Amino acid sequence: MRYDQATWTREDGDENAGSYEPLLAEKRSTEVTVDESPLPDDLTRESVELPDPSEPELARHYTRLSQMNYGVESGPFPLGSCTMKYNPKFTEDVAALPGAGTHPARSAASTQGTLELRHHLQTYLARIGGMDSVTLQPPAGAAGEFTGILVAKAYHEEHGNSRSEIIVPESAHGTNFASAALAGYDVVSLPSAEDGRVDVDALEAAVSDDTAALMLTNPNTLGLFERDIDEIAEIVHGAGGLLYYDGANLNALLGRVRPGDMGFDVMHYNVHKTFATPHGGGGPGAGPVGVVEEFAPYLPSPQIEERDGEYERVEPEHTIGKVHGFAGNWLVLLKTYAYIARLGDSGLTDTSAKAVLNANYLASQIEYEIPFSPFHHEFVASADRDAADVAKRMLDYGVHPPTTKWPEIVDEALMTEPTEAETKAALDQLARAFNNAADDDDEALETAPERTAAGRIDQADAARNPRLSWQTLDD
Amino acid sequence: MSFDVPDDRGYMESHEWASEDGGTARVGISDFAQDELGDIVFVEFPDEGEEIAHDEQLGVVESIKAVSDLYSPVSGTVTATNDELLDAPELLNDDPYGEGWLVEVDLADESGLDELLSADEYRDQVE
Amino acid sequence: MSDTGRGSPFAPHTDAETAAMLDAIGVESQEELFDIPEDVRFDGEFGIAPRSEREIRHEIQLHLDRDDDLTAFLGRGHYDHYVPSMVDHLADRSEFLSSYTQYQPEIAQGFLQALFEYQSMLVELTGLEIANCSMYDGASALGEAATLALRARSVDGTRVLIPELLADGRRAVLENYLAGTDATIERYPMADGNADREALADALDDDCAMVYAENPTVRGTIEEGLSEIGELADEHGALFCLGTDGVALSLLEKPASVGADVVVGDAALGLGASGGLGLGLFATHEDFLRQVPGRLVGVGEDSDENRAYTLTLQTREQHIRRERATSNICTNQAWVALRAAMHAAWLGADGLVGLAEDCVTNARDLADRLDDVDGVEAPAHDRHHFREFTVRTDRPAAEMREELEDEGFAVHAIDDQLLQFCVTETNAGQIEDLAAAVEVVA
Repeated sequence: MRYDQATWTREDGDENAGSYEPLLAEKRSTEVTVDESPLPDDLTRESVELPDPSEPELARHYTRLSQMNYGVESGPFPLGSCTMKYNPKFTEDVAALPGAGTHPARSAASTQGTLELRHHLQTYLARIGGMDSVTLQPPAGAAGEFTGILVAKAYHEEHGNSRSEIIVPESAHGTNFASAALAGYDVVSLPSAEDGRVDVDALEAAVSDDTAALMLTNPNTLGLFERDIDEIAEIVHGAGGLLYYDGANLNALLGRVRPGDMGFDVMHYNVHKTFATPHGGGGPGAGPVGVVEEFAPYLPSPQIEERDGEYERVEPEHTIGKVHGFAGNWLVLLKTYAYIARLGDSGLTDTSAKAVLNANYLASQIEYEIPFSPFHHEFVASADRDAADVAKRMLDYGVHPPTTKWPEIVDEALMTEPTEAETKAALDQLARAFNNAADDDDEALETAPERTAAGRIDQADAARNPRLSWQTLDD
Repeated sequence: MSFDVPDDRGYMESHEWASEDGGTARVGISDFAQDELGDIVFVEFPDEGEEIAHDEQLGVVESIKAVSDLYSPVSGTVTATNDELLDAPELLNDDPYGEGWLVEVDLADESGLDELLSADEYRDQVE
Repeated sequence: MSDTGRGSPFAPHTDAETAAMLDAIGVESQEELFDIPEDVRFDGEFGIAPRSEREIRHEIQLHLDRDDDLTAFLGRGHYDHYVPSMVDHLADRSEFLSSYTQYQPEIAQGFLQALFEYQSMLVELTGLEIANCSMYDGASALGEAATLALRARSVDGTRVLIPELLADGRRAVLENYLAGTDATIERYPMADGNADREALADALDDDCAMVYAENPTVRGTIEEGLSEIGELADEHGALFCLGTDGVALSLLEKPASVGADVVVGDAALGLGASGGLGLGLFATHEDFLRQVPGRLVGVGEDSDENRAYTLTLQTREQHIRRERATSNICTNQAWVALRAAMHAAWLGADGLVGLAEDCVTNARDLADRLDDVDGVEAPAHDRHHFREFTVRTDRPAAEMREELEDEGFAVHAIDDQLLQFCVTETNAGQIEDLAAAVEVVA
């Protein structure tokens, strides 16, 4: 098995030069002097210099760049905790329909169709999560976390409780810690028990009158279901705190368990994970937040509500205000709606079945220790050598590697989530990539990758001498 | 794996060292610390003239994938800083007890030196 | 093999494959793989019927058709500029669209280079040394700027001064970003649409962490004393944060030349009217490099000593620094940044400056035309304008806005007797029609 990513050699013909596409600024650049503008000179800048390639050159530039980039359609992408599944094409066309993206300041009366769609999506998400109300405003998962924590904070303040702590399991996503801190909370980190789950005794010891909430993802980052969830909910609720569900791993549970039924009060959904909206190399995503009835009055403003067949923008009674300047990443949400509608009940339930089946099948085919089980949609294998090196070598075998070195509870972790969208044949290819890398000697690993657009990149050099724009490059 | 732990200085459990010489002390991080962090890309320490105190935050050191707080082994006033580290943080990896020193401190009366681990004690900790 | 006999069309397993996989795992059924206590299991229905592609496209089209077909003269932060076809076709290449954050840079050189180019263009436009590769929108970028000001070692103080006239979304989001701090937000007055610099000077003291101003302002006026604001902020050790947009940047005073420490805003490039989906700009001085929120692409070398691109300085970010990260942002708007860079490169400097000049002349033309109408005074502020302006009305503005909808136009009513109109190349052709409609309702 061999993989070669498209590469383009330098014009000097050096065949070992690896990938190379000149920067736009190195192609053609024009400086324009601003001197005949319709404004007085003291209100304008003097000049602007920008790249100025023709459209044919631009088309070739970006096509070449795309050929030096790996996406879900390039091959398997089992990046643990990121749920990189196939993004259906038709949802792109839906989002590009004329009139799909009306200006967010349009009146409710003149956009009843769009508001109805938003309301339908709120309803779908509420049902899927077992929640009572949903806001679509947060523009990403982390923004959803922040929104949820602000809701908890507003709730406690409304009830005269000034609580100062959010409890987060040590193995949680980094955003949980950062979102809680952004909302002004002290973060209490909760160590895992030996079985990789929440240590219920430690949780009992950690909760107090200061506990505003516990943030939890279930299944957790090891893929394990938190079987003590009833007890966990009882402890947190008993202390007067809220239970927050991080929706990052919802793909494992679709149609089988709902966060609301497990006792969660607030949750966010990661639409680019669970609902297949394309990640776009970093975003845009969307992070809708669901709450049970008691917390609905605190949601961001406006909420879309239906009254007698009319859809209105309503300000919730104790709203936290706004978390996005406009109405969130609407076109991404529209893709979410289309995807959920395509799947329906049976497709959603089949999604979690196949996601869990694929993870378990792949695990059965690789020669690595997997210390914690039974896992669901993802597993964490131990590389037993430098996991980052194993990942680099896997690039040479034509796959995107797993998430590496996290969670730290597993030594040299390879956190692997194949998703439901891979065929058995693709999983077999992935397994070969894992196993070939395991069989390769240290030198092959340390010098990998060799078949990619760039060789191993010196991260230390890039960080020690930050060059963050073409203006900083000499040659 | 064994780490270099020179006998001529004192150590913190948090892996900083101090070596005294007539009322002033140099401060740095240990060989073990630089190895744990990996390639160090950035270091932040107090300016000249700032007061620092034993076991309180001295600065921050960053590698590509980790960030660590530094704690001061001694109390006193910073009299010199190793500004070469700003351009060449790799000195912390290459020579943690020599060219990779962080700051020099004019020691206060209660310098904190007595509280430091000896080289033997620190060796026991990291081995 | 699904419970209802019809599974996900995107889970490509044949029954035989599923059986073989279960066999390899050593279990009898898919259900056996779920380690979930009975008492929390969901055995109900969502009540969501699966539909075909064709049905869904038809259904959504029917919904969208229920929206009134209005010509929008709306702005206030979200702008509709024409985006060339090239942008859609190239940005939609699945190698870009279906890729992830560039944690494995060796197979992500293309996207990294495109983001590096985006950062570089923003560096040129702002004159500041550092630009990140996106925030959610202008409002969250403003929130991030304020938390940066509070963190920066060179800045004391906790007061954040913002203009009295500011988009509600930006103010409300800023309030939430500062909810976890001891900062206070205070508004300074405006004089005829622009910052009242005398009042601002009175309001400033050494307890200020940041002064925020916009150019153009939310009402489209062009600020005339930005350097003075920059100097005032500097005198009191506060950061000067300037809000603007990607098109205005090419024509109006260069932020670095008026003393801006941070530039934020909505890009206004790469996407047209998109329901609020956009791109938050964020640029700052290199002094604050370690305090920058979000992702940064840098240049390094690969093992063959060739130039290569990589995400860098990641220790600022949440996945490493957790509760002490500079921001909680993870997923951002990278694909929109890719589109904005494509759009800007397609325009080139000449095209971008020309587009910005049109924003001035189109607004002027529409204002001139409306000023001829009895019962309205346009523009309400005696200022230069960019893209949009306000109009004083004799009749209640809210009523006129509603009646203009009946005439086929969407505009802002922002006060009892103030309407606001925004004009770009996408609606400039309907200036006459709009003016005729205003004549009807004025």
